[in-house]
Amino acid sequence: MGRQRSILALILVLAIAAIVVLVKVPVRLGLDLQGGSQLTLQVQTTETVTEITPDKLDAVKRVVENRINGLGVSESIVQTVLPDKLVVQLPGVSDPAQAERVLGGTAQLDFREQIPGTEARLPIEFQVQKQKEDELKALQDSKADKAQIDAKKAEVDSSAKVLAELFKPSGLTGEGLRNAFPQPVGGDRWEVVLNFSDQGGEQFAQLTKNVAGTGRSLGIFLDNQLLSAPTVAAQYAETGISGGTATITGGFDTKEASGLAIQLRGGALPVPVEIVENRTVGATLGQDSIQSSIYAAVLGLALVLVFMVVYYRLPGLIADLALLLYSLFTLALFNMLGVTLTLPGIAGFILSIGMAVDANVLIFERTREELQAGKTLYRSVESGFYRAFSSILDSNVTSLISCLALFVLGTGLVKGFALTLALGIGVSMFTALTCSRTFLMLLVLSYPALRQKPELFSPNVPPSSKTQPNKIQPEKAS
Amino acid sequence: MKLQIIRQRSLWWTLSSAIILSGIVAMIISWSQLGAPLRPGLDFVGGTRLQIELDCAVPSNCAKPIDPALVREVLAAQGLEGSTIQVLGDEKQALSIRTSALSVDQRTQLEKTLTERIGAFDPQKTQIDTVGPTLGRQLFTSGLLALLLSFVGIGLYLSFRFQLDYAVFAIVALLHDVLVTVGIFSMLGLALGIEVDNLFIVALLTIVGFSVNDTVVIYDRIRETVQTSGDRSINDIVDAAVNQTLARSINTTLTVLLPLVAIFFLGGETLKYFALALIIGFLMGAYSSIFIASTLLAWWRVRSGQEIQDGGKDQLVGAEE
Repeated sequence: MGRQRSILALILVLAIAAIVVLVKVPVRLGLDLQGGSQLTLQVQTTETVTEITPDKLDAVKRVVENRINGLGVSESIVQTVLPDKLVVQLPGVSDPAQAERVLGGTAQLDFREQIPGTEARLPIEFQVQKQKEDELKALQDSKADKAQIDAKKAEVDSSAKVLAELFKPSGLTGEGLRNAFPQPVGGDRWEVVLNFSDQGGEQFAQLTKNVAGTGRSLGIFLDNQLLSAPTVAAQYAETGISGGTATITGGFDTKEASGLAIQLRGGALPVPVEIVENRTVGATLGQDSIQSSIYAAVLGLALVLVFMVVYYRLPGLIADLALLLYSLFTLALFNMLGVTLTLPGIAGFILSIGMAVDANVLIFERTREELQAGKTLYRSVESGFYRAFSSILDSNVTSLISCLALFVLGTGLVKGFALTLALGIGVSMFTALTCSRTFLMLLVLSYPALRQKPELFSPNVPPSSKTQPNKIQPEKAS
Repeated sequence: MKLQIIRQRSLWWTLSSAIILSGIVAMIISWSQLGAPLRPGLDFVGGTRLQIELDCAVPSNCAKPIDPALVREVLAAQGLEGSTIQVLGDEKQALSIRTSALSVDQRTQLEKTLTERIGAFDPQKTQIDTVGPTLGRQLFTSGLLALLLSFVGIGLYLSFRFQLDYAVFAIVALLHDVLVTVGIFSMLGLALGIEVDNLFIVALLTIVGFSVNDTVVIYDRIRETVQTSGDRSINDIVDAAVNQTLARSINTTLTVLLPLVAIFFLGGETLKYFALALIIGFLMGAYSSIFIASTLLAWWRVRSGQEIQDGGKDQLVGAEE
């Protein structure tokens, strides 16, 4: 009894915690519910790049992120899906045409030479550009309205154009760059090492020779955006930086250095990116889906609740309580783990409501059998739980095996379904075995009067299990 | 009510075979007509589906219903004659167009012409799905692979928890459920043009994971009875076990079907046929557990001379209280 009390206290604490979580942590809605565009990009292999390694995929991801930043979409997400895909989520975008145009295609990395006479303007314009980009980012993070973001984005674009006008092409492009990686120079100071191909090295030497000691910079552009504008020391004015290797120094920390290196590597990869999937849902449609799935969930839950009480009587009521706790815990768990709710995910959750009572049904059927076999109420309840356990375990494990298969091999939406269903199964084991059991036991133990009324638990109980005679019905073989 | 399942087994076996056979016939017809056993959706063959709705906030935009002939004309002008067009909604203000996979430029061009010819569309009510043909094939193979994987996983688990013959017949029952569901959807594809998509494979996997539950519960009971009263004939034991667990089998299926029915009617277009597939599969799951998996096990044990098994080889986890 004391044990049941402490479990009851634990359940109460969990329930309160779950409510707090539900109130405090917002639900994460998938793009099919909140509206938006999800694009799947496939990185194509070419004659020179015959294999997409995880490393290369990461580099392309940076290029794609770079392009998305130029789109002015708040809270966009880019994920890599091995071996060769990137999934881009653009919330709130109902016409992804612009994004599709910008995201497809091969990255354009090129090295340019600053035009004489612009020395004074470059640092100012570069500063302006960085500042505007930061402002745009801040606006996006604060979820400012679209007009404001668009206006700021236009400023960024025009500032990028101004910057681009300060440079002229040198002929050296990403093809000439073989590799780029960060290298420590002591403390948290890093530099970025560039490795060129033979031809690229020559072009780089020529370029650096042109600008060395002049105060002018060479400009490294990715998709027409200035990444870095290093100057070249006067000592190289004779020969340029030859040998095919150079370093960009400039007080980078780890993050900056590796960031720049990845962008350079991505830009140097001559791999085209193709959009192989586009799933776009308008915001209103998403709203409609949320609405209809809420109706379905509420109706589904209500039907199950009513059925349980009508068929299983008092234990049914307890199962209902456990089921409500189940819904509460599961939803709270979704929020806590940051599970993104998609339409199939909601279907998985609704389905799991029906499955969650399965364990209770097994237990109560067993309890009934024991009661009808003439056992006392307490013993019947105990052995109902005890004997049903093996069936409950087996049936849940088989469901989990399917979920696992779905999760491992499925794509986005399917994964969401598998995850919500699997979490639901886990929580339902807890609520059925712990919550229902504790409630039922407490009830049986605290109200001795109940023991005189096994008919609250099952029809057709033989009189031997009661102390008081009751009307005897003919035994119905169940 | 007491079911005489062993005595009536030839009836159930015939019934199941008949349903499965007609499903297979439907798949063959479907294969000859569509080149696939089921009508494949966008997810598997690739293509673009554009769902748009007129923006009624624009004055006189929604004055008349969308004319499919006009849409067909627009599509033909762009060389998209083979496309399917559906005018949707009570007021015929919404449009669903299914074409081969369109590039961004093709799609924007189509949207532009449609707007010129028909009226302004509400971007907030637009749905675009484009799946490249290669990706479609990948989705399909990974779906089939997942199905295979879960069959193997469940088979291994059951042979570990029970015995090999239990596991084999549980898998046979699962195949039965999957075949019936696939067969019925093949017929639906032929008769009503219902397509199967990614969610259909998800539904099949869910059916596999859930339907085996009923079988497991019945087998659990058979195993228990074999251990406690090993001197009874397996036919008796199976009959008794099925009847003892009958209420449970029916009730758990019912509690799962109730929310599914709610999804089918209220859950919206995307989930409708997903729910239907699950309803069919779960019903079949309960049916095959009660009538097929159990009778097959009894038949096999009698045939292989294990009709009366004295003392169980397999141990139940834990003993009586």
